[in-house]
Amino acid sequence: MVNLLVKDLKLGVNPMFLVMPLLTGALMLVPGWLYFLVLLYFCWITIPNMFAGFRTQNDLMFTSMMPVTKKDMVKARVSVIVILELLHIVVAMIFGVINTHLYPNLVYYFFAPSMGFWGLCFVMLAIFNIIFIAMFYKTAYKYGQAAFASIGAAMLFAGVAQWIGVESPYVSDIFNGTGRDDMGLQTSILAAGIVIFIVLTMIAYRMAVKRFLKVEIQ
Amino acid sequence: MLALDVRNVTKNYPGFQLKDVSFQLEKGYIMGFIGANGAGKTTTIKSILNMIHVDRGEVRILGKNMDEHELELKQEIGYAFGGVDFYTRSKMKTLTDVIKRFYAKWDDAAYANYLRRFKLDENKKIAELSAGMKVKYSLALALSHGAKLLILDEPTSGLDPVSRDDLLDVFQELVVDGEISILFSTHITSDLEKCADFITFIDNGQIIRSSEKDEFIGSYRLLNGKESQLGQVKDRLISHKINSFGFTGLIHARDFDPASDIQATTPSLEEIMIYFAKREDHHG
Repeated sequence: MVNLLVKDLKLGVNPMFLVMPLLTGALMLVPGWLYFLVLLYFCWITIPNMFAGFRTQNDLMFTSMMPVTKKDMVKARVSVIVILELLHIVVAMIFGVINTHLYPNLVYYFFAPSMGFWGLCFVMLAIFNIIFIAMFYKTAYKYGQAAFASIGAAMLFAGVAQWIGVESPYVSDIFNGTGRDDMGLQTSILAAGIVIFIVLTMIAYRMAVKRFLKVEIQ
Repeated sequence: MLALDVRNVTKNYPGFQLKDVSFQLEKGYIMGFIGANGAGKTTTIKSILNMIHVDRGEVRILGKNMDEHELELKQEIGYAFGGVDFYTRSKMKTLTDVIKRFYAKWDDAAYANYLRRFKLDENKKIAELSAGMKVKYSLALALSHGAKLLILDEPTSGLDPVSRDDLLDVFQELVVDGEISILFSTHITSDLEKCADFITFIDNGQIIRSSEKDEFIGSYRLLNGKESQLGQVKDRLISHKINSFGFTGLIHARDFDPASDIQATTPSLEEIMIYFAKREDHHG
């Protein structure tokens, strides 16, 4: 499995995608922006480009010839996605901290970069993963539909969450009002987000393995 | 011992069927796997490598069932797929560094040796290699991880005669010690006349015959006769062509009476392939 991971990081993933988190993370410095967008760039840019790369380089056939199990092939690829997601989210969180120090008196219209907000981001990526990974492994090379559906769902979640955050005084208070200083509340939202992320990604992995075992490598 | 034992492999596709494909390759020999484009060569190879799920049948490699020992056996299999490229923008060196991690018996010294012998420069990108060099690179990889069975799909297609000849020499050198066996699919039959010990001929998803090369060729006769003589043999011919001089047709040696006054010669592999393909046109 580790060998496959090394293979993906050395051959398949353009180094550009490892630097991307820094570039998109820096967007956290835009004051009062809609910060869900920062992570959505990962879904919009990195995912389709990376998977197009795997397809053009015949990665599926290349990997199938190696002494590896199909299960490990999926595990390694899901790990690559998760590693990149974590890189994006952690770098964005760091820039988020800088943001709050840079603009201490800013009034946020959209969600402020609080821990609770990052919890929501984990949920957004969880939704993305379960749809993208499960759909992609029906064929293991067609990424278009899977990307379209999963990005759509992630955006829908972000849009609805943000709309509620603006419209509902209760939710607004949790994320941008007095709730923002309630460390217990914030940490539990973040923790809940992380748990949802882990659970949905694990389910996605299991579904993907099941489907990939049936795929014929042409 | 059998290096490769394919038994009754059957796979149905809409519009194409691999029917009861069976053949055996003895350890230490080269088997040519011939057939027209679309006859089922690559599908058979993919079934051997467990890349597609067969409906029925069994593949045994070096005495072990491929389904049950896939990982272990893949350590012992080397492959080269002519015309399929992987990570062409990467340097050979980068690719090798990644690939070697997967193989328990990887031998760096052997690899360096093969690079020298095949005159490959590690710092070149795959895209910069000629078709022949790419096959040699695949061979260098396979041999450095101690592959005992080489499965080569169209390794000589698209190569110039000089590089083809060069590769065929390499193949023959490899099997000399009796440790390595090669299954080599191609539609360039002259390559096999030079280097194969056994021939397996597939046509329209079915194995027509799998046997020792001379026996294979010897089991057919190519007839040249006048049109008036056609009637004597017509229903026993595999297929025939009519031209202004008379007819030319392929027949099983057992179906041909050597006392007949029709001129008979030993066909080339290419002629055997062509007349079998023609048979389908007739019936199809």
